[in-house]
Amino acid sequence: MGIKNLVPWSFGKKSLPVRREEEHPFYSLQREMNRIFDDFFSDFSLAPLGAGVERFEKFSPSINVTEDDKEVRVSAELPGMDEKDIDVSLTSDALTIKGEKEEEEEDKGKEYYRMERSYGSFQRVIPLPDEIDTEKTEATFKNGVLNVVLPKIAEAKSSRKKIAIKKE
Amino acid sequence: MAMEKQQAQSPVEAERTRNRRVFVPPVDIFEAKDTTVLIADMPGVCEKSVNITLEKDVLTITGTVEPEQHEGYSCVYSEYDVGDYQRAFSISDDVDKDKIKATVKNGVLRLTLPKAEPAKAKKIPVRAE
Repeated sequence: MGIKNLVPWSFGKKSLPVRREEEHPFYSLQREMNRIFDDFFSDFSLAPLGAGVERFEKFSPSINVTEDDKEVRVSAELPGMDEKDIDVSLTSDALTIKGEKEEEEEDKGKEYYRMERSYGSFQRVIPLPDEIDTEKTEATFKNGVLNVVLPKIAEAKSSRKKIAIKKE
Repeated sequence: MAMEKQQAQSPVEAERTRNRRVFVPPVDIFEAKDTTVLIADMPGVCEKSVNITLEKDVLTITGTVEPEQHEGYSCVYSEYDVGDYQRAFSISDDVDKDKIKATVKNGVLRLTLPKAEPAKAKKIPVRAE
């Protein structure tokens, strides 16, 4: 089974172009429930075992994907990472972004009042349509946001033919 | 699981003049020797787009992010929205307000709030007689 069967994806399926979790009522309900539980259990975070462990498991960047008929753009929010710590690789049908966000050495073991940021290693695999030109892919990293531009191959662009409708 | 960007409930008391979403950046606050350090994740901001104001013991950090607009692009998959950041903190009197330092690197704001002199614990030497 290919990766495309595992991940909800809408390339080529123009009927459902955007999957926006924010607007989906069940996702927001689920998130609300998660938040209530998180808030409740965060009171016990001073427990001697496992304190702060989830902080180091949680980090996973948020990703946006946009496209037009020439290219696909993938952006990811990676605050606090250096470009050398991010590994972007491309196979014929997927883009992989991985890396590890580490806590700064000098900040370790300090007396924390508030811990909301998270650390840890992550890997995100983004399935791609077939017509990507892997040679001309470019990635930039600026102010904690990674941008990957994946141009589509020219032949694929022109494969769609527009048919003129004649009036009778 | 990815940390969701939390949307600000009531961004600040002030009304906004821009139609832009406002998010509350997640922060770490910890105490180091003689300083309190505040770190905020604000992906997309640079040193020029962050504003830090201190008024009547209320420290407000704001960051503006210009969304990249690409004409003719359609959204295929979306996990985050781009918007401004805003958060306010009340700080105690024992911070030396003139020596607050702020740096921005890779979308992370780091504020160093040094403790004012009288707030430092004073060690009293005991002499043997």
